[in-house]
Amino acid sequence: MKTDLIVFAVLFAALAAVSLIRLVKGPTSADRMVAADAADILICCAMVLFALYSGRGIYLDIAIIGALLGIVDTMLVGRFLEKGGKK
Amino acid sequence: MRKTTFPAVLSTFLVCYAFWLLLTWSVAAQELIAGAVVSLLAALFASRFFIHEKAGWLFNPAKFFVGLFYWVCVFPVELIKANCDMAGRVLGGCKNVKPGIVKIPVDLKSDYGRAALANSITLTPGTITMEITEEGEQAYYYVHWIDAQSDGAEAGEAIKGRMEKWIRRFWEK
Amino acid sequence: MLAWLRIVIDVLIACGAFFALVGVLGILRMPDTFCRMQASTCVNTLGVIGLCLGALLYAIVLKQDAGSAVKIALIGLLILVTNPIGAHSIAKGAYKAGIRPEKPMETDDLGRDSE
Repeated sequence: MKTDLIVFAVLFAALAAVSLIRLVKGPTSADRMVAADAADILICCAMVLFALYSGRGIYLDIAIIGALLGIVDTMLVGRFLEKGGKK
Repeated sequence: MRKTTFPAVLSTFLVCYAFWLLLTWSVAAQELIAGAVVSLLAALFASRFFIHEKAGWLFNPAKFFVGLFYWVCVFPVELIKANCDMAGRVLGGCKNVKPGIVKIPVDLKSDYGRAALANSITLTPGTITMEITEEGEQAYYYVHWIDAQSDGAEAGEAIKGRMEKWIRRFWEK
Repeated sequence: MLAWLRIVIDVLIACGAFFALVGVLGILRMPDTFCRMQASTCVNTLGVIGLCLGALLYAIVLKQDAGSAVKIALIGLLILVTNPIGAHSIAKGAYKAGIRPEKPMETDDLGRDSE
């Protein structure tokens, strides 16, 4: 009955893994950061679906923390580039 | 640096406490007291960054419904249109792009209004606000646009659409 | 009734998955850095909205679990509110650090005005 949830969760996790290709390949650090941010958000989505599938609320808490920390590292790299970091 | 005033602390405290109640989702006495202490500390330290103008703007019911209408009815339409446009570009092979940075004029006065419009523009795929400048009274955004066809005020009309009118109705007057 | 609801939930989550797929494809295939940022916005607007609406319906109607529903709504809201701040910051930082696309841009008002 709950099979569709786990199928979509695996799909989102696979999309996160695909976006890591850009993290490895990306020519500049901004590219890497964008790919890492997208992977973070996709993993949060997969975690929401997995929490509903398995019925354990702890995954939702981890997803909130992941969403909040994702913005912090993006802003950190953005500020570093702005104040004269290397490409 | 702005000074810490009582209305600013109170409204920041209310927002933090509501967030705490939503996260814990229980009404046990110790949770309530711990939440009150933590959100009071957070409000004392953070209210001078959080509140820039009048402190009670969030709790005005008429404004609240205007804002709710904007975020529920007006903005999602723009969002869905822009998303479908971007999906067409990506699935069409990513060849149909003409990236450019355009400078558009903005007729908003308050800080909150400008920040809200910049965030709305960034949140629609295809446009990212990069920089904001002021020349005299008039504010300008530098927007990276994936389909830069026009320039100046014409580009402003195409990018801002109906959003600017509703944001002016929410944050000003 | 419940079967219809399952279909609605699946359609919402599938919409989210479709836009997430579009965003990831855009990140992989777009020609330059700023266009990749534009494509990644697709992931965290309609991808997240579709998924959170579907999960919210599931948690409220089928599981009847208010705590999970509030947490899912908060996750969607937090991602939507905080994401544009990161996008501004990384776009401005990339421009200031001297990252330019290989093919010159059509119009570059920021470069013209900062000279």
